Amino acid sequence: MTEGRIYTGEEVRGGQQLQCDVCVVGSGAGGSVLAHELVSRGLQVVMLEEGGYHTRREFDLQESKAFPNLYQELGNRTTDDLSITILQGRSIGGGTTVNWCSSFRTPKRILDHWRDVHRVDGLSEDVLRPHWEAIEKRLHIAEWPEERMNRNNRVLWDGCGKLGYSRGLIPRNVNNCADLGYCGVGCPIDAKQSMLATMIPDAVEKGLTVYANASARRLRIEGRKVAAVEVDVLDAESRRSSGRTLTVRPKVAAVCGGALNSPALLLRSGLTAHGRVGKRTFLHPVVITVADFDEPVEAFSGAPQSVHSHHFIERGPEKMGFFIEVPPIHPMLGAITLSGFGIHYQRFLSRLPYVNACIALIVDGLLPGEEGGTVGLRAQGDGRLKIRYPLTEPHWEAFRTACKEMARIQFAAGAKTVVTLHSPPLLMRSVDEISKLDSAPWEKLRVRVVTAHQMGGCSMGKDPSTSVVDNRLRYHELDNLFVVDGSVFPTSLGVNPQESIFGIARWAAQHVAAAV
Amino acid sequence: MRSGGQPIPRVEERRSFLKKGLLGGLILAIGGVGFLASRRSRLAPLPPQGLRVLDPSEYAVVMAIAARMVPGGEGFPSVQEVGVGLNADGILVRTDPAAAKEVKQLLKLFENALAGFIFSARIRPFTQLPPEEQDQVLEEWQSSRLEIRRTGFTALRTLVLASYFGSPLSWPAVHYPGPPPGFHQPDAPVWRGGGEKRPDGNGVFHPEASND
Repeated sequence: MTEGRIYTGEEVRGGQQLQCDVCVVGSGAGGSVLAHELVSRGLQVVMLEEGGYHTRREFDLQESKAFPNLYQELGNRTTDDLSITILQGRSIGGGTTVNWCSSFRTPKRILDHWRDVHRVDGLSEDVLRPHWEAIEKRLHIAEWPEERMNRNNRVLWDGCGKLGYSRGLIPRNVNNCADLGYCGVGCPIDAKQSMLATMIPDAVEKGLTVYANASARRLRIEGRKVAAVEVDVLDAESRRSSGRTLTVRPKVAAVCGGALNSPALLLRSGLTAHGRVGKRTFLHPVVITVADFDEPVEAFSGAPQSVHSHHFIERGPEKMGFFIEVPPIHPMLGAITLSGFGIHYQRFLSRLPYVNACIALIVDGLLPGEEGGTVGLRAQGDGRLKIRYPLTEPHWEAFRTACKEMARIQFAAGAKTVVTLHSPPLLMRSVDEISKLDSAPWEKLRVRVVTAHQMGGCSMGKDPSTSVVDNRLRYHELDNLFVVDGSVFPTSLGVNPQESIFGIARWAAQHVAAAV
Repeated sequence: MRSGGQPIPRVEERRSFLKKGLLGGLILAIGGVGFLASRRSRLAPLPPQGLRVLDPSEYAVVMAIAARMVPGGEGFPSVQEVGVGLNADGILVRTDPAAAKEVKQLLKLFENALAGFIFSARIRPFTQLPPEEQDQVLEEWQSSRLEIRRTGFTALRTLVLASYFGSPLSWPAVHYPGPPPGFHQPDAPVWRGGGEKRPDGNGVFHPEASND
């Protein structure tokens, strides 16, 4: 088997035409696992990635370099109204290059919900388990030991312990981790078992050809087939179009751009699945509380996420559940995420080594009638996406409750003050002041909402009138098009998504291969 | 600083701040663009490196906003010392062109008090206001019941703070020691396949090795 190769934009001549068995669009969690499975079966695979090829050679642990290079829109992707900040990866490895290493299997109750409500057949724990096990072995996924927990995580651990809230240790995909805390800006030692460090080079050794700086603009459809993938070659530095193009003619195309980008590609190709493409986009919307302690916390140091609480994951049939973790806090993202401005804000920032933050991730998509957000296209010439995510009463109720519970946890762990990310921020000096949250301004752009997990937009299911891809992830109306990434999830997951995406991609590989 | 009387058109949730028909109509209503253009920005000294996206007036607005967002003192370097305006220009060079254009328009809008004039009595450009009034303008935009103002505030704030706190010059003020030394290897090999041997490392799977 001839070895594959990773090409970057400047190496690609204009007008190149490629043929292959499968074209995989996107090098993130879904695309990489899929591509690896396909080349392992002896298929000829071309992978396209619109982001750049950035490796540990460049990972100098600086936010100012990482955000432009490794994130969508320099880390500033947002919903149209700027009410939700979207952290999404964009480079070889996709989200796995910049995530915080948390790895969870898809919860059974979510798989059951998809089966019962969304007519997803054939996807159970029994079916996925061998895939999870294989991934967990390859990526060294294991619980981060309690004794290595950093102080930022310990606040959540201790606070939950004192209140009797359930808590657990997070499994992480790391190998020889040096406990630095810079997963979000690219691991400098490849300890993070991102697709960049693991599955992509594994696949390249088996023949995968990868083009970085290659933005798939459109799928050319002829009859019931994708005939070609039309690609804009980008300039690596400016990220703008170089003017050169590439055309890939695969037997089968697999769209793996992730939620947001996969629906966008389908829409640019005229594929709307009767209006279903780009609908039911879910975000695990996040609210945050920040606590100030007398002793140093140093949330910029140490494995970023090692504790989770799923105590509030199910709160009854009309309420959205949430789970709680902690984020790392580095100066730039921390300053932007914190609310306010001026001398008080500046003084609060000088407390950086003494602050902890907790994040509550709201589980969206499970309530009856919940529609989630939408992804659409903008006018010709404007490459940005139209991303809308309505925040509704159940969201606000969940945000308010989550902030109260996080504050309770932080005070239980010894916090002196807790501040919210309302604009301007709301300060609490004790547990007794938590009720002040009831009169805080719970409306968009008055409180910081963030997402680091994007799901849905190309839902899977048996019924073409309510789904975009079938139960083998094949686009309903075409013979040779698959979507294999987090955009196929009919709801959000209630856990960090990467392992669910790895699992479903590994499982789906058999169906993609069979279509060749 | 609230308007009297004028019905404010309902603004759609969009990033584009100069929506045809909204501001076009308002500009006509106050006698044309000439009125606004006659009010000059208080300019800031330009960086020796020059600017690639921002014009001198937009640069001045960035620096003026930044100086109120992070006023300096108490260990915090000034926005001039950090070079916030130049950093912002650098960010905009790398930003999607349509988005960068919108930021420039937003800076002009913020400076020219167009919104201020229509909705309040303020007629001086932002850069000409004393600091206390600048703070009032920023607070009003931060909490405004007009979504478009909150959106504009958020966009400008993000640009300014990234330009300040992305710089190592800001780190001592927040007692951030910087990244741990000794882990980044600037001469690490970049493997591209093509028959070249893959370097060993933590990403290579050794089946016989045990977990950490």
